[in-house]
Amino acid sequence: MFVKVLYFGRLKEIAGSSEESVELRDGERIEDLFARCSSSRPELRKFRSSLVAARNREFAAWDTELSGGDEVGFLPPVSGG
Amino acid sequence: MTFPSPQDRIELTREIIPNATVAREVRADEDGAVATFDGCVRNHSHGRSTLYLEYEAYESMALAKMQEIAEHVHNSFAINRVAIVHRLGRLEIGETSVFIAVSAAHRAAAFDACRYAIDNLKKTVPIWKKEFFADGAVWADGEVPPLPAAAAETPAAKPASN
Repeated sequence: MFVKVLYFGRLKEIAGSSEESVELRDGERIEDLFARCSSSRPELRKFRSSLVAARNREFAAWDTELSGGDEVGFLPPVSGG
Repeated sequence: MTFPSPQDRIELTREIIPNATVAREVRADEDGAVATFDGCVRNHSHGRSTLYLEYEAYESMALAKMQEIAEHVHNSFAINRVAIVHRLGRLEIGETSVFIAVSAAHRAAAFDACRYAIDNLKKTVPIWKKEFFADGAVWADGEVPPLPAAAAETPAAKPASN
């Protein structure tokens, strides 16, 4: 199954793109997705502790199981206003 | 009464925010107060002179979170209408980045709802600010949004619920 991954703010600059499609095995969770995304970009791992994940536009825990077609955003600390 | 009010204005824009129009449009004849918050671009940050800012958002989620804030203020305060408008893209010194307006019969509810809306926008709405200085640019320090209780980390021994 494939999920859509979105990067924002400094993560987008580190990832080198704002969006990608990633293939996962059934039962994989948001933390597994992040491990896959950061395996080729070790720099991303440094930000793991300050990130919040969103699944389908709602904040989600790292152990949330993913389904095909999900949209997952990795969100750095927010600074609107 | 239906919440949120169809007259609420929840918006992301790349244009200059028409503050006076937004404030005027939340007022109705039954209101005795309009409280507004104008968040604007400051010319300094952490002791450095700021040249300009750039804002970006996870737009679909940001709008959903702004809508949730509007729903919350309707449910929590005796207000009439609320407008929450956030600008994106490049902003110059002095320009408005966020404008919030709340109308109510009486001032206390309008002030309280306006304060709640900006405080929660800064904590929970996925928008990011990059600050540009003469000698470089940085992403602003931000706030880590709290997870809703239902999405809080489950203990490792417990299977995930969904």
